Amino acid sequence: MLSYILKRLGIGVFTIWFIATATFTAMHMVPGDPLSNERGTNEIIRANLERQYGLDKPVFQQYLLYMGNMLKGDFGIAFSEENRSVNDIIREHFPVSATLGLLSLLFATAGGVLWGALAALYRNRLPDAVLMFLVILGISVPSFVFAALSQLLILNLNQWAGRSILPVAGWGDFRSMLVPALVLGMSTMAFMTRLMRSSMLEVANTDYIRTARAKGLSPTRIFFRHQLRNAILPVITVLGPAIAIITTGGFVVESVFAIPGLGRYFVQAVAQLDYTVIMGTTVFFGAFLVLVVIAVDILYGFIDPRIRLGAV
Amino acid sequence: MSSSEYALEVDRLAVSFDTYGGVVQAVRDVSFKLRKGRTLAIVGESGCGKSVTMQSIMGLIPMPPGRITQGSARLNGDELLGISQKALNAIRGNRVGMIFQDPMSSLNPTMTIGRQIAETLVVHRGLSTSAARKEVLELLRLVQIPEAEKRIDQYPFEFSGGMLQRVMIAMAIACKPEVLIADEPTTALDVTIQAQILNLLKDLQERYGLSIILITHDLGVVARMAHDVAVMYAGQVVEAGSVDDIFYRSAHPYTLGLRAAMPSNDPEKRTLRIIPGSPPDLFAPPPGCAFAARCPHAMRLCHEHAPPLYGTGHIARCWLHHPQAPESPVRGNIATLTEPAC
Ligand SMILES: Nc1ncnc2c1ncn2[C@@H]1O[C@H](COP(=O)(O)OP(=O)(O)OP(=O)(O)O)[C@@H](O)[C@H]1O
Ligand SMILES: [Mg+2]
Repeated sequence: MLSYILKRLGIGVFTIWFIATATFTAMHMVPGDPLSNERGTNEIIRANLERQYGLDKPVFQQYLLYMGNMLKGDFGIAFSEENRSVNDIIREHFPVSATLGLLSLLFATAGGVLWGALAALYRNRLPDAVLMFLVILGISVPSFVFAALSQLLILNLNQWAGRSILPVAGWGDFRSMLVPALVLGMSTMAFMTRLMRSSMLEVANTDYIRTARAKGLSPTRIFFRHQLRNAILPVITVLGPAIAIITTGGFVVESVFAIPGLGRYFVQAVAQLDYTVIMGTTVFFGAFLVLVVIAVDILYGFIDPRIRLGAV
Repeated sequence: MSSSEYALEVDRLAVSFDTYGGVVQAVRDVSFKLRKGRTLAIVGESGCGKSVTMQSIMGLIPMPPGRITQGSARLNGDELLGISQKALNAIRGNRVGMIFQDPMSSLNPTMTIGRQIAETLVVHRGLSTSAARKEVLELLRLVQIPEAEKRIDQYPFEFSGGMLQRVMIAMAIACKPEVLIADEPTTALDVTIQAQILNLLKDLQERYGLSIILITHDLGVVARMAHDVAVMYAGQVVEAGSVDDIFYRSAHPYTLGLRAAMPSNDPEKRTLRIIPGSPPDLFAPPPGCAFAARCPHAMRLCHEHAPPLYGTGHIARCWLHHPQAPESPVRGNIATLTEPAC
């Protein structure tokens, strides 16, 4: 298991290097640069930047310089904001994105497992049909549509109640997190519901469930002790991709709900062609996802002894 | 309740499955009796209804599509068919233990074998976890699993097939059941392991007076293990009797065919013979004898009318035992009955 994790970490480092290089190349191929942006054209900033990053130097040298700084954990200073380091930006805004993401992941996983198990229990009956219809909606409707619709709904709700039950946008207490997290986790939950349902049905037909019944165990005991744990395994394997979907989905949801997360910052930076912020956030998100996927693998091993003990 | 000499009596059981293609009559009027402390083998080709017979009695077939259309099954006098799910759960794993063909897939892959065995004891005997663990260690030793203290905390994938079947046996006998149902317990194992598992079952039977139903399609296993035999064909019992009756006084042409198809150690008759043809469609069983189409002795009567059961004790469902039937290799084999009626 340990050597497996080390190997995965090695591959992860390579992946991050690749992401950094690809982003760097892509940005330098795009016409224009951050200094031609109006907001950045302040003499002090320009001098500052040219000294620090040598934008006048050949591209390859810039690349080496950038990589060197990154290895030291320094993503540099934002072009669009005076004296603000990218590290500071990440430190300040990532917790917001992480909170939102974690909340929607929690919502998606718990909901997916619950609805999926329920649909399987009521297979081919009304609750199953209703749930499967909702799943198709959840998968096919894009999150910005859900976001706009939910804002409309909140607006009407507040109007009807005559006071603000839920905020339409912004970030602060738990009430303001609820709806964005639901919207962000919707498609993942739909996807996990479907996965959980088919996984439950598959497990229900296995020989070991027949054995459990032949042992005289009650249906409840069979469900909780034998079926659930085995049925959840496939859901855990998709946690990695699910987190990736939620992370990137966060860009949209943060913008629509005016949430000061790193995702919204990233979108802004792209619009302003702010090299250092784009690079910093991209590499940061990349590293984050790589680590998450490895963490999910470890979690999977924890639940499935065959992986933990190195059988497969 | 009753102190009869039978641990399990099945009477006129019929099971069908409602499928899109029609109704499959998987078990048609099956009766047999399991003597206490003895082994009854149920033999027959693949698909003849052996597993469905036993699983329907234990409430293990999916319903729907499955349906028990008639019959009764009494475990030491207590009816099993039509009782509540709760009552059935109190019997399964407690008064009746079951083991299955493929031990590799029959155990939960994410639970240690110790906990899987202990579960039976906790549920049926109300033992505490620690008391159950002690008992499980005893059981593992009983089924001859070496290093029981280490093995008890291991997962199924850490065991070989033979060892897992021992685990299954330990689980099935944990509550000292009155009947053990073994559905092709050795089919998935290689020959030497097969012999060990069969010896273990025999050993347990001698020690605890276990009554065993052994489902198999291997006549070698039957010869080695069984006291009584029921031969099934197309969802029916076509011949039943003591093991000697079946091997030395076969009273049904299908049994003769099975015997001829048995691989022999005699180099003179090394060629493997099979019964030509295939079993009938269970969607629409023929009006006459189900075996008539493959039977070398079939008469016109056989195709038109279902034969009755002839004999007592040693019984056969075949027109060749009719007083006016022509001479055949099975003729007279039922009349030579020496065992007491059963
Ligand atoms: N769930 C089901 N739906 C429809 N038909 C079924 C179902 N289960 C079993 N059957 C039918 O019942 C018949 C008997 O099956 P069964 O499993 O009892 O055979 P078997 O004698 O145990 O064979 P094998 O030696 O292969 O285990 C088969 O013809 C099968 O088609
Ligand atoms: Mg079978």
